Amino acid sequence: MVDNIVTSKKSEGLTVIDKINAHNANVFVGKLGDLLYKAVDKPLGMAINWGRLWSLWPVHIETACCSVEFGAASGPRYDVERFGIIEAFGSLRQCDLVVVQGTITRKMAPRLRLVYDQMPEPKYVIAMGACAITGGLYFDSYNVLPGIDGILPVDVYVPGCPPRPETLIQGCMLLQEKIKRMKPR
Amino acid sequence: MSSTSNNTEIEKIENTSSVTDTEKSLSDSISKKFPNVQITYVNPNRIRVNVKREEIIDVASFIRDELNFDHAESVSGVDYPEDNQVEVVYHLGSYTDTSLNKQILALATRTPREDIPHPGNDNTKLPSLHDVFPSVSFHERECFEMLGVYFEGNPDNRRLLLPEDWADIPPLRKDFAIKGR
Repeated sequence: MVDNIVTSKKSEGLTVIDKINAHNANVFVGKLGDLLYKAVDKPLGMAINWGRLWSLWPVHIETACCSVEFGAASGPRYDVERFGIIEAFGSLRQCDLVVVQGTITRKMAPRLRLVYDQMPEPKYVIAMGACAITGGLYFDSYNVLPGIDGILPVDVYVPGCPPRPETLIQGCMLLQEKIKRMKPR
Repeated sequence: MSSTSNNTEIEKIENTSSVTDTEKSLSDSISKKFPNVQITYVNPNRIRVNVKREEIIDVASFIRDELNFDHAESVSGVDYPEDNQVEVVYHLGSYTDTSLNKQILALATRTPREDIPHPGNDNTKLPSLHDVFPSVSFHERECFEMLGVYFEGNPDNRRLLLPEDWADIPPLRKDFAIKGR
């Protein structure tokens, strides 16, 4: 694609300006990112992970009471933002963490997978609360998913019904520890 | 079926002492008009009327027009695999008649049940009370998808709460098995 943009000046009478539309620009930036990874992977891989772990942007899947505890965790008393979990988010395209806060029904499951698929790589999943981990109280219901790990690759399980904000913060720090030891990419 | 009816007979005799005049007059006027109907006093302020499914529209119209029960509060379904029947209970109440404020009239009817259900296409059917009490529309729709009882005459029998790709038997049947992990 990079070659395309540079060398297409003569062919078909198209100028460079014509080739640079929104789609091509996105692809170009993506390829530049690949190039950057290849260049700095070995010496500076740690730095890439360091950047990721201090700016986790979560998607909130607020399906049950765990969302109240998440709200408390982002309040001034617990303030997860000092640990690098940034509360405000623009859209799914800018997020890299899914926090599943509550019961996922069989009807909700495809929607949750859709949310996950819309996010760019790399992405991490926290299953918060007993319902998201095993189905919780509703484990023998006809309509509740017995744990979200059937549809998403879960990184950290945060147990509790609902977990206190301290537990959630500990889960987030575990995730950061995990990211720190991952290979970049 | 016979055992359950015996039990209800015993309850009826036990509770007769606490039956008020209002309840007695209600049950008398129903049993005078419809001799086949079986009436029991379940709790204080709660009469239960068991009818055959052929009669239910007539009985419901009579209750609405003559006894002033003007709305249906809920429609619930019960599965009885040992009797091979599904029971549907309409709970009726009254806003307009102040003497019936505390009363809840349970109008119950039964329909045959099939071991391998095909909701809408098998014998598990009841006439809808939508023309008598319009508020039963959504309740009957839910009862249809949860227990597989098709209500003939209900204008809207689409799926309400279950997932779009649900291909199992109705989930509130007693023989529904949980999938597990």
